[in-house]
Amino acid sequence: MSSTMTSTAIPASANPVAPAISLAPATSVFTSLLRADLTTQWRNRRASIMVILIPSIILISWKGLVEKFGGAFVLSNCITVGLNAIGLMGYTNSIARDRDKGIFQRLRITPAPRWTIMVSRLTVQLLMIVMVTIVLFIVGYQVDNIHMQASAYALTFCAAIVSGAVYLSLGQTIVGLIRNAETVNVTTRLVFFLFIMTGMFASFGALGQIVSDIAKWSPYGAVQRILADSLNPGAWKAQSNMALLATIGYILVFSIIGIRKFQWQSSK
Amino acid sequence: MAHKMSVFPKIMKSHSPPRPTRSPAFSRLMTAAPLFHPRYGFILASMSTTFDKPVLQVDRLDVRYGNFQAVKQVSFQVKPGEIFGLLGPNGAGKTSTLSAVEGLLTPTAGAITVAGYDSQREALYARASMGVQLQSTSFQPELTITEIIRLYAAIHGVTLSKDRINSILDDIKLQDAGAKRFGQLSGGQQQRVSLVIATIHNPPLLLMDEPTTGLDPQSRRKLWERIEAMRAKGHAILITTHSMEEAESICDRIAIIDHGQIITTDTPQAIIDDNRDNPEVIRASRKGRITLEDVFIGLTGDAIRS
Repeated sequence: MSSTMTSTAIPASANPVAPAISLAPATSVFTSLLRADLTTQWRNRRASIMVILIPSIILISWKGLVEKFGGAFVLSNCITVGLNAIGLMGYTNSIARDRDKGIFQRLRITPAPRWTIMVSRLTVQLLMIVMVTIVLFIVGYQVDNIHMQASAYALTFCAAIVSGAVYLSLGQTIVGLIRNAETVNVTTRLVFFLFIMTGMFASFGALGQIVSDIAKWSPYGAVQRILADSLNPGAWKAQSNMALLATIGYILVFSIIGIRKFQWQSSK
Repeated sequence: MAHKMSVFPKIMKSHSPPRPTRSPAFSRLMTAAPLFHPRYGFILASMSTTFDKPVLQVDRLDVRYGNFQAVKQVSFQVKPGEIFGLLGPNGAGKTSTLSAVEGLLTPTAGAITVAGYDSQREALYARASMGVQLQSTSFQPELTITEIIRLYAAIHGVTLSKDRINSILDDIKLQDAGAKRFGQLSGGQQQRVSLVIATIHNPPLLLMDEPTTGLDPQSRRKLWERIEAMRAKGHAILITTHSMEEAESICDRIAIIDHGQIITTDTPQAIIDDNRDNPEVIRASRKGRITLEDVFIGLTGDAIRS
């Protein structure tokens, strides 16, 4: 026989009429879902390439600003744009689309633990964060001559993962609060545009002091700050700690709202 | 009807009467999943000890959406080797009842047990004991049919080799569709794939939500044959349908549900006979003889539901 049961759990139900049903181990369910989600991501690689391409193009075009503002400032802004794109455009829209198509409902009626369904999706996005960060490090190094210490790259790498969680959790909040896929799509684009525009222009001081102060502690500003200071660990100070705290705060608040409000079924 | 046949014929072979309606190819498909695992020594076929017990037991089920009570005190059971039809007009409570059984919504009150497992307290085991064919099934559009089958098999703890998947696709006459995407298949082909996925782990209970909607007569007949073949193996099958022809043709028992309550439960013929003299049913009759549709309209009214 070429088919096999790969079950581990052999529960003895308290109910005497309950038959012994086997459940696949959660790790093997997770692995299968992850393989499927990675395949999906690979077949949607045009969207993934865009997510990498946009911050790379900005980084290349900002070569002239490196001397004026410093490599850490330029690179951190570009990584922030990439993380924004992953969380708000990639993750959020794929969740909204699959919910709309009933793919989650189909998975929910299987014995797959529900956490495996979402963690698998998040793992794929985590891989995207890793890829975008590495590509931007390479582009910055090769094209813009942004040279950092190895420890700075390592620290920034960790900071990028924490920072990516802000936008993934923000995306989760958006799909939690909005059940219509098209409205989610429009909202994420608007939020993406708003963050990029206010974050970038405010950091250049083009929007006045008040907006600049607000933007500094926004999800864009806080993330950009910890990335910039991670790239330049010597400059890490009290304000960097505050930015890190703000980032963790955003993750907690967005995650709680996003998980509590999330519905597996879209509104028709 | 209570067929004394096993869902797991490999173990119960010596007790199984002949099964004339089942094609050998389909038989291979159905007997593939339950196996003795060498490491864990587990025989899934121990489910066959619960033969005469209902596979699905719904007891005084209530489902409420805010102030609206969609399902009121609904009780029924489905036994092994039985096709049970849940009939009702739109908004009668069929989908809410089915969703509660599937675990997609939490009942306000009542109890549901699937193969002896409480659907709330032992949700994963209850879900592992059922296969579900949703009304509008959608799978990941980027995955091929082979990948989808492999994914859902793995979720149920069944590992399928490439040859085995090809053999499954052969059985459902989709041997060339392995590399296609689900959206590229016709409605009938999609239903066949959905049914394969719903039964890939050989579940004691199969739930089918309007399985023949949108199918041509040929595909519908073929699907009925497959459903009957599963009944012959001892699967308990719960079907919701709007087709009275379908209910009369394949269901052993039916329940008519309206305004969230079950009006009547019996065999299709018994329901017709019991209501033959009902004036509402006679008034609904169109062809001079009483059909299940006449009884249905007589009992639930002729007003169009939203």
